[in-house]
Amino acid sequence: MTKNIKNLIILAAILVGAIVLFFWLGAPKKSIEIGKGQISDITTMAQLCTVDLYNEVPVLDTINDKVLFAVQKQRGSVSFDIENMQVNADGDTVKIVLSPEIVEINEATEDNSWQVIDSKSLSLNGYNPLASDRLTDEEENQLKAKIKANSKKILYHNGTIERARAEGVKNLQTLMTKVYRKPVVVTDPTPKGAHYDEY
Amino acid sequence: MKLPKRLLIGLSIPLLVGCSKTDYTELYQEIKSVDKMVFATMAISKTAKKDRSGWYGKRIAVYSYDSYMRAYIDLSALQMDDLVFDEKNKTVKVTLPPVITEITGRDMEMHKVYENIGMLRQDLDSKERAEIKEQANKSFKEEIEENPMFKEQLTEAAKRKARKYFEAIFETNGYTPSIDFKS
Repeated sequence: MTKNIKNLIILAAILVGAIVLFFWLGAPKKSIEIGKGQISDITTMAQLCTVDLYNEVPVLDTINDKVLFAVQKQRGSVSFDIENMQVNADGDTVKIVLSPEIVEINEATEDNSWQVIDSKSLSLNGYNPLASDRLTDEEENQLKAKIKANSKKILYHNGTIERARAEGVKNLQTLMTKVYRKPVVVTDPTPKGAHYDEY
Repeated sequence: MKLPKRLLIGLSIPLLVGCSKTDYTELYQEIKSVDKMVFATMAISKTAKKDRSGWYGKRIAVYSYDSYMRAYIDLSALQMDDLVFDEKNKTVKVTLPPVITEITGRDMEMHKVYENIGMLRQDLDSKERAEIKEQANKSFKEEIEENPMFKEQLTEAAKRKARKYFEAIFETNGYTPSIDFKS
């Protein structure tokens, strides 16, 4: 009886050793290779940028029964196309109409600008062992599109766009007075934002 | 130093309220008034490959995304005496502030270029993709610092555009401009 137990313990130890060895030898080496940066586009324009912004946003969202919690750092700006704006310089006063705002929000390039804290499955309240808690890249991209839209919405509703447009009027007036050397009047047809109603 | 505290507050939100709602309330926001005239932007693509293949199956994924730079002049640095008009000859000499380049961020989304996940292997998760992007971002920032080609090309494009823009304005007003940049 004692001999049997002893053999069983030895067998179990060998089995555990084999399993450990199996995974240890079989474990792949971690490897990420980064390619060289390639210029994919150079675009020229004439835009007046009046606001630069930096955000840190906690992201808690659900997609296809999966929850993701992350923290994102964002960089953005509010600019105006001054190449294609309405300018009337015929009279004694130069009349300019401020163009629609261009709102850009990107992920920042500071360290850990996209920090994933956790993801989990909501299937059967999280107790379904067959349900994956892994978001696919498509799901993650859909979620990020929502983050971007939401960040823009906040800018329209917390007055940032209004402030950027007011600065746009002021800065454009200063610049064009130097250029035209006569009085300049800049009007803003949509002080709250040309796209305010969309948000 | 403020971030960990804010992060902790942020982290506690899902634990307190559950995980089935959408929450994008900012932890921190900084809005800065600027007076920049942007003349060129550049998109730089980075491709990253993660390969954790083992004898029991392949696990390869390749992603790409763009990062962005822009070139601008600081209009607040443009003084009245930077524009010298000659009424007799109908010319104007313009000395614009120097062109400055800066990184403006990167795509939020990553595009899957290639994937080969074996039957016994798991798909990549969000943390792994974030790690890939983090390493690609470090490499991008090093490249921008080490290789002046990126800034030079962008600066040249911006200077060409700035000249064209101001020339058009002054010519419309009947002046022949000569445009230069401060160094």
